[in-house]
Amino acid sequence: MKRRLLSLKEAYSQKKLIEKWHELFVEDEVPRCKREPLRGDNISSAAAAPRECVGPGPATRRGRLLSFRLFPALPSGVKLDLGYGIRLEPFQSGETPAACQASCRCRQAGHTYHGKFLVQVSFQYNDGPPVLETFSFGHLPIMLKSKLCHLRGADTQKLVANKEEAMEMGGYFICGGLERLVRILIMPKRNYPMGVVRSGFKSRHDGFTDKGIIIRCVREDQSSVTLRLYYLQNGSARLGFSIKAREYLLPVGVVLKALKNTSDREIFLALTSSMVSQLAGERAKIILDEVKNLSLFTHQQCLKHIGKHFRAAMDGLETESYSVVGMAVLREYILVHLHKPEDKFNLLIFMLQKLFAIVDQKSLPDNPDTLQNQEVLLPGHLVTIYLKEKLQDWLFKCRQLLTETIQKAEKNFDFQSLSEVKKVMQKANHRSIGKSIESMLKTGKLATETGLDLQQRDGMTIQAERLNFLRFISHFQSVHRGAYFTTMRTTTVRKLLPESWGFLCPVHTPDGEPCGLLNHLTSTCRITSCYDSSGKLKDFFKIRHSIEYVLDGMGMNSSLPKLDQSGPPDVLDVILDGRIIGSIFTFLVHKAVSHIRKLKLLPSSGIPEDLEVGYVPITIGGAYPGLYLFTSPSRFVRPVRNISHISEANADIELIGPFEQAYMEIKCADGGDGGRSQHFPATHEEIHPTGMLSVVANLTPWSDHNQSPRNMYQCQMAKQTMAFSAQALQYRADKKLYHLQTPQTPIVRTKAYSKYCIDEYPTGTNAIVAVLAYTGYDMEDAMILNKSSVDRGMCHGYIYQVDTVDVSDNKSSETKFFRRSTTDKSVNSLIDSDGLPFIGQVIKPKEPYCSIYNETSGKIKTMTLKGSEPVIIDSVSVDGVSSKNSIQKVDVRYRRMRNPIIGDKFSSRHGQKGVCSQLWPDVDMPFSGVTGMRPDLIINPHAFPSRMTIGMLLESIAAKGGSLHGKFVDATPFARSDKKGCPEDDSNSLVDELGPLLASKGFNYHGTEVLYSGILGTELVCEIFIGPVYYQRLRHMVSDKFQVRSTGTIDPLTKQPIKGRKVGGGIRFGEMERDSVLAHGAAYLLHDRLHTCSDYHIADICSLCGSILSTSVLQQQKRTVVREISGLPPVRASKKVICHACKTGKGMETVAMPYVFRYLAAELAAMNIKMTLRLSNEAKATEA
Amino acid sequence: MDVCYQRFPKVKIREMKDDYLKFELRETDASMANALRRVMIAEVPTLAIDLVEIEVNSSVLNDEFIAHRLGLIPLTSDNAMEMRFARDCDACDGDGQCEFCSIEFTLSARCTDDQTLDVTSAELRSSDPAMCCPVDQILRSASDSGGYDGSEQRGITIVKLRRGQELRLRAIARKGIGKDHAKWSPAATVTFMYEPQIHINEDLMETLTYEQKVEWIESSPTKVLGMDPNTHQVVVLDPEAYTYDDEVIKKAEAMGKPGLVEIYAKEDSFIFTVESTGAIKAYQLVINAIDILKQKLDAVRLSEDTEESLDQFRELGAHLGGGGN
Repeated sequence: MKRRLLSLKEAYSQKKLIEKWHELFVEDEVPRCKREPLRGDNISSAAAAPRECVGPGPATRRGRLLSFRLFPALPSGVKLDLGYGIRLEPFQSGETPAACQASCRCRQAGHTYHGKFLVQVSFQYNDGPPVLETFSFGHLPIMLKSKLCHLRGADTQKLVANKEEAMEMGGYFICGGLERLVRILIMPKRNYPMGVVRSGFKSRHDGFTDKGIIIRCVREDQSSVTLRLYYLQNGSARLGFSIKAREYLLPVGVVLKALKNTSDREIFLALTSSMVSQLAGERAKIILDEVKNLSLFTHQQCLKHIGKHFRAAMDGLETESYSVVGMAVLREYILVHLHKPEDKFNLLIFMLQKLFAIVDQKSLPDNPDTLQNQEVLLPGHLVTIYLKEKLQDWLFKCRQLLTETIQKAEKNFDFQSLSEVKKVMQKANHRSIGKSIESMLKTGKLATETGLDLQQRDGMTIQAERLNFLRFISHFQSVHRGAYFTTMRTTTVRKLLPESWGFLCPVHTPDGEPCGLLNHLTSTCRITSCYDSSGKLKDFFKIRHSIEYVLDGMGMNSSLPKLDQSGPPDVLDVILDGRIIGSIFTFLVHKAVSHIRKLKLLPSSGIPEDLEVGYVPITIGGAYPGLYLFTSPSRFVRPVRNISHISEANADIELIGPFEQAYMEIKCADGGDGGRSQHFPATHEEIHPTGMLSVVANLTPWSDHNQSPRNMYQCQMAKQTMAFSAQALQYRADKKLYHLQTPQTPIVRTKAYSKYCIDEYPTGTNAIVAVLAYTGYDMEDAMILNKSSVDRGMCHGYIYQVDTVDVSDNKSSETKFFRRSTTDKSVNSLIDSDGLPFIGQVIKPKEPYCSIYNETSGKIKTMTLKGSEPVIIDSVSVDGVSSKNSIQKVDVRYRRMRNPIIGDKFSSRHGQKGVCSQLWPDVDMPFSGVTGMRPDLIINPHAFPSRMTIGMLLESIAAKGGSLHGKFVDATPFARSDKKGCPEDDSNSLVDELGPLLASKGFNYHGTEVLYSGILGTELVCEIFIGPVYYQRLRHMVSDKFQVRSTGTIDPLTKQPIKGRKVGGGIRFGEMERDSVLAHGAAYLLHDRLHTCSDYHIADICSLCGSILSTSVLQQQKRTVVREISGLPPVRASKKVICHACKTGKGMETVAMPYVFRYLAAELAAMNIKMTLRLSNEAKATEA
Repeated sequence: MDVCYQRFPKVKIREMKDDYLKFELRETDASMANALRRVMIAEVPTLAIDLVEIEVNSSVLNDEFIAHRLGLIPLTSDNAMEMRFARDCDACDGDGQCEFCSIEFTLSARCTDDQTLDVTSAELRSSDPAMCCPVDQILRSASDSGGYDGSEQRGITIVKLRRGQELRLRAIARKGIGKDHAKWSPAATVTFMYEPQIHINEDLMETLTYEQKVEWIESSPTKVLGMDPNTHQVVVLDPEAYTYDDEVIKKAEAMGKPGLVEIYAKEDSFIFTVESTGAIKAYQLVINAIDILKQKLDAVRLSEDTEESLDQFRELGAHLGGGGN
C-alpha cells in the first residue's frame, strides 16, 4: 500500500510534466490568414492529460519509466522524479532571450530557433519530503507559430515586422538555419487489432502459421508497443512483443490467466462464445491445456512464471520479486493502451476470437496497406516519444553513476547530501538531451536503442524547400508510407486503393521511384489531434465517458459485469479506442450508429465531432464484425455532408474517417445515385468533388478534361516552377532561391486558387500561345519563344545564392577579419574598405568578392567567385561578430540574372512541358491580320493528340474569352457535375459556354484565327488555334546544365580528360557512342576523339625485351647548343633512351598509344604479370 | 516569279491620328507589304534608355529590374532618324555619350512621408526635353493646351517607394532598332490584311427564307453582312470586317447552299493598321519605314553594281544579277 501511495504521487507529477510538454512543443490549430488550415491539425500534441491515472486503478503504470528508486547499501534510498518543464521565451542561439526577430535571424545566421529547456527534478529520500531541483537540459527547438513561438497568433503586420512572410503558417523548426519539418509517416492504426496473413510468420518458430493479429497499442504519452498474436498449427496462440528489438513469445493462456484471476471455465466460455464453431472449443481447450502443462494453475503462478522469465530483460527490476516483474511485463508490454487488467483480458479474448474467425475463414484478414487500417505519426508525438526515451536514458545513467559512486565508496561522497548527489548527476550530461532532439530534427535520424516501435530510424524529418509556394506547402501535406517500403519489390503497397478516397490525393504523387509511397493529403483532409476545433485540449476521459453513456442508453450491455457470454452474430462487441466497453444486440446497432452520428453533429452533445464510428456489419466472409469507435488523435478525417439528419443549415458537416468510410453510403454530388440500390440509400453526400484532390492538384484548371497522368505531371512540375518564391525575399538566406521577376495571375483559375491565395505567390505568365508547326523548331516538345516578348520581360527570373564566409576558426589561434589590402589597389573596384563587396557590384568569374586579413600571418586572402557566370551582389549580411567587434561571419548573397534562353524549360499547367528551342524575332512570328497580334510562344500541334490534354485547349479558349471580356474564368474541375437537381442540363458542352464569349467579340467560336506568315506575309493555310495559356517557367535551365570543354584539366593517373561538370570536365564518350561512330565508318573521327584528343602518348618501347616499363630517358650529359631560327620552334634535342633490362638503347622504338595502356602495364606489373609487346617491325629490325 | 514588271504602289490614307494610322496600299504584292510591316516593327530607329547608372537604390526592386523598366519607357524619337547609332558615332568613339548619339536622363526620387510614392516616367528629367522625353510628358504638355485629360496622365510607374526609400540614377538613351531589342520598336502593332471581295450569289440568296438569311448573316462573328431593313436583302456591310475565317462559306454549305457567297482576297491590295507606341507619330513611322526600306534597297543595288559584290554575296549576288532575266 505504501508503494501505491508513492506511485500516485509520481503519476501526478507525470501528468504535470506531460502537460508542460504540451506547452513546449505541442501545437494546436495554427491560425492563418484567410487560408484553410493546411496543417494546423496535423501539428498535433504530445500526450493528453492522463486524468485516468489519478483515479483509482493501477496508477503505477508509468511511474517506473521516468523515475526510479535507488536503494543503495546505505539505509536510505533516494527517489528521483522528473518534475515539469519551465517555460521560457524562445531565442536564437548565442543571443539573449530578449532578442526579437529571432526566427528570421536564425534563418539568416544558420542558427537554431530554440528555447531553454529546464526541468525540475524531485529528490525524495525514503519517505521524506520531495525536494525540487532545476536542471538545464540544454535547448529545445521550437516549432514556428507554436505556443512558445514569439510569432504565436501574430497578425500580418507583426509577421512582416518580424521579417517573416505575411502569410507565414509555421509548423516547422529552424535547425541550423534550415527549415525542417517532421515527415508525416503512415503508421498502423492504433489500438485496433488487425488480422494479417503474412508468410513471414511461418518462419518465426516451428508450428507457426502465417496468420496472426497485430495491434499497435499507444499509451497516452504516444509511446507505443506493438503486440502480435500468432496462430499456431496446433490451434493455440502465442503472444509476441519486442523488448529492445528482440522478440519474446508467451503462450496466450498464461497471459490470460495472469491478467485476471479467473477460472478456466470463464476463459473457455469467453473463447467459445462468438461465431460458434466446433473448433473453437478445442482450441480453447488447447490454450488452457498449455497452461496446465506448464503446471501453472493460479493467477499468481502465471504472474510469477512471467516474472521469472522476464526479470533479466527488464531494466531496473533486477531486485524485485517475480510477481512484481510479472505485473510490470503486463503493464509495459501487454496491451499498454489499457490500464485495467480486466480490459486487457477482454481485448485479448476479442483478439483470439478474431484470430479464430480468420483462421476458420469466417472473416477476412485486414489489409495493412489500406488507409482504413492506418493513421499517421505526428511531429509532436514523435518529439514526445523521443524525448521520453532520452529522459529515461538520462535517469538510468544518473542511477548508474550514483550506484558506481556509492560502490566505490568515495570518501567525500555523502549520499545524504543533496548537493553531492546533484554533483554526481551533473556528469550524466544533461544538456545533451536538448541537443539530441535538435540533431534528430536536423538530420532526421533517431539515435535510439529501442527503435521507439517505429519502422525506420532515419528520414524522420525533411527540409521544407521554398523553391516556390506550392512546393513548400506540399511538404506539409505529404504523407510517406515509410522508408522500408521503398525497398520492396512488389507494387502492392504503391497501389491506389479505394479506401483512400477523399483522404489521399490520387493525382498528387510523384512519378518514378517514390510513386504511391509518397502521397499527399487532399485539400479537405484533416488529422485529428488532442485539440478540438475550438483549440481546447480534449478531455479524452470525459469524451469516452459520454460515449459510453450514450451507448448505454442505446441498449449496450456494459462489459464490466459481463453477464451474457454470447458473441456475434447475436451481439456485436463495442470497442472504444481499443477497449471493449460492451456489446450490443445486432438489431440495435444500426439505430445506435445513426443516433451517435446525429449527436456528432451537435456541438454540445459531448460526442466529439471527429469521432469515428466504424460499424463493421456482420457479413459472410467479410471483415470481422464489431462496432469500433475511435476518438484518438492522429487519425485522418474529412468532412462530408450528412443528409440523413436534416438540421440547421450549417450543422450537417460530419467528419468521417477512413475506417468508417468503407461502410458508409456517401453519394457524389452529381445528382445521380452512383449505382446505389434502393436498400442502401445514401446517408451522406460529398461536399464537392474537388475535395478528393490535393491543393496542388486542385490548381490545375479543368483537370477533369485531361488524361490523368498529365495531371500527375502537372503536380510535379508545379512544384519545380520558378515562381514568386518569397515575400520576405530580402531577409532570406536560403542556399539557392529561384525567383520570377514579373509573375502574373492566371486568367483561367480554379476556386482553389483564390481559396488558398496563390495570388500571393504567383507561378507563371499568361502567354499568347499559338499551336502550329511553324519553323520546325517546335518539333518534339520544343517551343519557340517570341524574342520581343522575352525582351519585354516575359519569364525573366533570378537565382539568389548565398555564400557564407566564416573566418572564425576555433581550432587555430589565428585571428582573422575582413579587411581590404592597403597595398593592392587592384581589388578596390570590387571590394569596399571593410573587405566586403559593394552592393549591386557585378562580380565576374574568378574575381574576388571579399578579402580576409589574417592578423597572425599578416596576409590577405581573397575569396574568388566560382562558376562561369557573372553575379551581382544582392546583399551582404553580418551574422557573427567577434569579441573585439570585428566581423567574423557574413552571408554574401548573389543574384544571377536568368532570362529565358535557348534550352530553358517551360510548361503549361497541363503537364505539357517543353524546351525553348529558339528566341524567334517578333517580325518572323506569324501575326493575326485582324489584331496584329504575334504569339509569345509557339508549340507544336503534335503535343495534343496522344496526350489528350483537352484542359489546355479549353484554357486557351476560356482565357481568350476572359481577356476579351476582362474577367477571370472559373475552371474548377467537376464544376459541371455539381449541378444538383438538373442532371439533364449537361447536354451542352463546356465549349458551348466558352465559344459565345469569343464569338460575341468577333472571334472564331472555336478559338482559331487566320494568321499570316511573318516571313512571307501570306496567309497560313490553316486557321491557327491561338489564345492565352498560363505558362510556368521550370527551374531546369541550361545555364546550370550545359557542359562543354575543349582543353582542360586531365586526370593525373590516366591523362584522360576528367569528368564532372563543376570542375570543367567533359562528357564521357562511351562505348555506345563509340559503336555509333564505328557504324558510320568514321574511323578517323574515332581516332581523333578517343586517342588524339584524349590521352595521346608516345611511349618508348624496347623491341628486344618488349617492355614498356623498363625504358627510361638518359639524362643528357652536355647541352647541345640549340640554334634558334626565328619563327621556328627550337629543334628538339635528340634524347637517348635505354632499356634498363637490356642495358642498351639499341632496340628502342617509339609507339603512339593511349596513356592508360602504360598505366595498365604498370598495374599488371604490380600483380606480377609482365606484359611483352611485340612490335610489327621487330622482325625487320632483327633481320637488318 | 511569273510576272516581273514595274509597279507604282498607291497609298490611300483612311484614318490618321498621332498614334494610329489606317491606310490602303494598292498595286503591289505581299512581299512589299510584309517588308513594310517588318521594317516598321523592327528597323525604324527610336530612342530608348540603354545605359543606367544607379547612384542610390533602396527601393524593393533591384537595379536590373529598374533598368529594364526604364528601357521599356517609350521616349519621343522624332529626331531618331537623324541621330547616330552609338556604335558608329565619331564624336565619342562609340561609347555613346555625346549629343549626337545620346540623351541623358536623370531621376531622383525619395519618399519622405507615409504615403507610398509612385515614381513614374514623369520624374525622368531629360537633358534636352525638346529632343527626347518620355512620351507621356509630351502628352501632358499637350493636355495643358487642352486635348487630353490631364488627370488621367500619371505617367508610367517605374517603382513605388515607401518612407525612407530613395532612387537616384542617371540614364542614357540611345538610338536603336527593334531588331536588337523590343524596347526600340516604335510600333505597338502593325498589321495588314488583304482586301476581301465578297460576291453574294443573289439568285441563290433569293431561295433563302428570311430566318435563314438572318441565321446566315449571324454566322459570321464579325459584322460583315447585314440586311436591308426595307428590302430584306442581304448586303455586304463591311467587307473589311471579314477575317477570312470562312464561317459564312461553311454556313452556306451547312445550309445546303454552296456557292451562296464567293470571297476572294485581292492579291494586290492591302489594308494596313499601324499603331505607334508614341515614340514617333504613326504617319512618321510609315514614312521612316519607307525611307529605310529604300536605303536597304539602295544598299543592295549599290552592291549589285560593284563587281566584288558578286563575290561577296555569291548566291545572292548571282540571284540579283542574273535572276531577273
